[in-house]
Amino acid sequence: MASVTFSKVGKAFGSTSVVSDLDLELTDGSMTVLVGPSGCGKTTSLRMLAGLEQVSAGTIHIGDRDVTALEPKDRDIAMVFQNYALYPHLTVRENIAFPLRAKKTARAEALRRADEIAESLGLGALVERKPKDLSGGQQQRVAIGRAIIREPAVFLFDEPLSNLDAKLRVETRTELLRLQRQLGITSLYVTHDQEEAMTLSDRIVVMREGRIAQAGPPGEVYRRPADTFVATFVGSPKMNLVDGTVTGGELRTESGVRISVGGPQASSVTIGVRADDLILTPDADGAAVVELVELLGPRAIITVRSADQQLTSVVEAAALTEITVGATVGLSARDVHRFDAATGRRLDA
Amino acid sequence: MAYRTHGVFAMKFKYGMLTPLLALFVVAVGFPLCYAAYLSVTDYKLTDRTPPDFVGTANFASALTNPAFWEAFATTATYVVIAVSAELVLGFALALALHQQRWAKDLSRAIVLAPMFITPIAVGLIFRFLLNDQIGAVPALLHAVGADYDFFGAGKALLTLAFIDVWQWTPFMVLLILAGLESMPKQPMEAARVDGAGPVYRLRRVLIPMLAPVLTVAVLLRGLDALRVFEYIYATTRGGPGTETQTLQYFMYLEGIQFFRLAQASAMAFIVLALVLVVIVAAFRAMERNRVAERSAAR
Amino acid sequence: MTRRFTWLETLRLAVLAAAFVFVLFPIVWVALASFKTPEQMSEPFLFAFAPSLANWQAVFASGVFAAAGRSALVGVITVAISLVVGSMGAYVIAKYRAGGSLTRFGMLAAQVVPPAVMVFPFLTMAQALRMTDTLAPVIFAHLSFVLPLVTWFLIGFFEAVPASLEEQARVDGFTRWQAFRLVVLPQVYPGIGAAGIFGFTLSWNDLFYGLILAPGNAAILPVAIANFNTFRGVQIGTMSAAIMIAIIPVVIASFFIQRRLVQGISGGAVKY
Repeated sequence: MASVTFSKVGKAFGSTSVVSDLDLELTDGSMTVLVGPSGCGKTTSLRMLAGLEQVSAGTIHIGDRDVTALEPKDRDIAMVFQNYALYPHLTVRENIAFPLRAKKTARAEALRRADEIAESLGLGALVERKPKDLSGGQQQRVAIGRAIIREPAVFLFDEPLSNLDAKLRVETRTELLRLQRQLGITSLYVTHDQEEAMTLSDRIVVMREGRIAQAGPPGEVYRRPADTFVATFVGSPKMNLVDGTVTGGELRTESGVRISVGGPQASSVTIGVRADDLILTPDADGAAVVELVELLGPRAIITVRSADQQLTSVVEAAALTEITVGATVGLSARDVHRFDAATGRRLDA
Repeated sequence: MAYRTHGVFAMKFKYGMLTPLLALFVVAVGFPLCYAAYLSVTDYKLTDRTPPDFVGTANFASALTNPAFWEAFATTATYVVIAVSAELVLGFALALALHQQRWAKDLSRAIVLAPMFITPIAVGLIFRFLLNDQIGAVPALLHAVGADYDFFGAGKALLTLAFIDVWQWTPFMVLLILAGLESMPKQPMEAARVDGAGPVYRLRRVLIPMLAPVLTVAVLLRGLDALRVFEYIYATTRGGPGTETQTLQYFMYLEGIQFFRLAQASAMAFIVLALVLVVIVAAFRAMERNRVAERSAAR
Repeated sequence: MTRRFTWLETLRLAVLAAAFVFVLFPIVWVALASFKTPEQMSEPFLFAFAPSLANWQAVFASGVFAAAGRSALVGVITVAISLVVGSMGAYVIAKYRAGGSLTRFGMLAAQVVPPAVMVFPFLTMAQALRMTDTLAPVIFAHLSFVLPLVTWFLIGFFEAVPASLEEQARVDGFTRWQAFRLVVLPQVYPGIGAAGIFGFTLSWNDLFYGLILAPGNAAILPVAIANFNTFRGVQIGTMSAAIMIAIIPVVIASFFIQRRLVQGISGGAVKY
């Protein structure tokens, strides 16, 4: 059990910088999720913590040990890869027991502990099988069992759920969360799926082009995104962003978009409104026309077009009687986010 | 997928693993090559008691202007083209036939593949006597139907030797092509069938293009090996009649071991090596271009 | 399961049948010849005859078995060295880009060198070390073409192993060498088997190097068989028996090997 500290960590391949100036602390026992688009440096950062990539600048500490120059085997970590990396020539039991071999544990003892862990993960009946005879979900649990058996200081996860189908992904997500809480091991988790990131993390770190865009508890990142990138990355459907001028509590653009937003006057500002917060009011003189209605059961995603902008709103199914394709609606918003139109940064930090 | 290697551990490991290979390579390949290069610019004879003299490119010049050398070259080229083409066609047909076989798979494959495991000198000797006019079974068969064919006679010997090559090495082609067939994805063929393509069309337009890399490798490997044919000639014609079946390898053997002109033989061998390398580089480039074209087409 | 006997299927079976006859005829003929006396030899189609064991006795008395033993020894040593050294090198060439793209090409080029280039240096070196007509130069000569072949073959197999396996092993607490030995190597066992068989076959079948480097007392099997090469009738029979000795183990082995071989090759080497 230990904390993890990245100090000014950077990574460059030749002249291309992939990660710059990374300062990040993982508190003991917490689950930190790195999230961001492809190429943002999240996987590279994870691999640097693992020791699979050499650090170009800065240091990494696990507890108070400087591990920057250490090989993976000396770092007391465990990792689950996206493709699980199960050893095809070993049985489930042997796969799980394998790390103990490095610690020179007696074979009988290692296999016994492997059986225990397999049992606790619901794999008890499968211990004799080879990985190729297992389903995706089962393989993933074997990978997790193999990680647990070492009782490491840090857990690393490299997009472990990406290879599962959607339903299984959600189920396994919950299990993973419960397991991590139960074991209380400091964990670093990488994913490109923002929903996964939001649900799993104690702390979410949004990365972009090698730097941290915002780090903090998921609720905070959701409610107060630091810039337009984070604002549109986190939350589904994507947050609506409109550039314009706010006069008399109304946002106006040159093309003719009008949204009632309240708040002080502002010229040249980007207004962000989450789909949940964009309210559609049937109004013959309204500024927008309904284009698309996607029913999701109790709610529906409505796409409206206002002048040159396409905006998304989420409404209750009950309201659909009046909001149909082709209907004209007026737009108003509650809980508005204001960003600088030029830099994209939040204006009321 | 390759690893990115930085750091002392990676380097030490990398070179530690590579060193035995490099060392052995130098001893077993590099050193003899250099020594042969040295020999080729001297006038060394196996019977020499004194150190040889340096003669520069004289050996190369005399080899390149030696009509016997070029005759051997032409003989070898003819042999390779005939043998490998036949092996490609027959091998392909046999591989297809075996691929579809459902019963006694192991046995049928073992029989078809057997010839390639027999030591070539034995194969040469077998055919020497099988095709021999007095005691061979095949000429006896021909005599029985009133035909007469002198297998090792003038104008026919090279063809017969190519035939021996085909007997022994078609199984090699079968092996490679069969492996290619078995690792081929089935969807394109199925899709073509659904689209209404007949078997011949499917063969020409779907199967062969998909197998092209395998076929290329097979032809390349087999061709390079056929260039070095020696055993069949040693077992049967010894270069005759006249010098009709004197392939390059046999010719150089005569130069070096029968005439003791090691330096000359080495020079000739290097010329052959140069020609072969040119072919290989060209083939490699063509294959690389294919790979790149495939990748960009796939995008 | 019903099979429709289309003309295609008939053709296929005809092709296979022709191939069987083609392959088996010479082998059977030699087998019969090995039991014939010189008088019986002059009648090529004598199928029903009283078999004689004279040839076989003569062969047992000759040094053919010893030669076969030497061939096996040379083959095993050559292949063992090649596999150990070659797999280590092939691994780093495949995964660590050791030597760049030049090494792959170099491996292919090394196999292509005509034996005539290499044999004379080996001969002169053997003479200088007074090791002519022993097995050591033959082993080195065989290494010169088996080692590149095995390495080249294995490179393709190692490339097919996912990088994450080695990384997982290193995270699990193993050194790179242990990761190689315990995790990566087992994945390429089929490839090693196929490469070993190919390498052994090449070494076993070599005549050229054996003829020049060890023609007499240390003769390997192909050379010993070649020494039966005269036109006297009695030698043909004995030679047939010697050929059978060379063939039988191989044909039997090919039955067990062929499935592994096809699997092994389609596993990696087909991707040149």
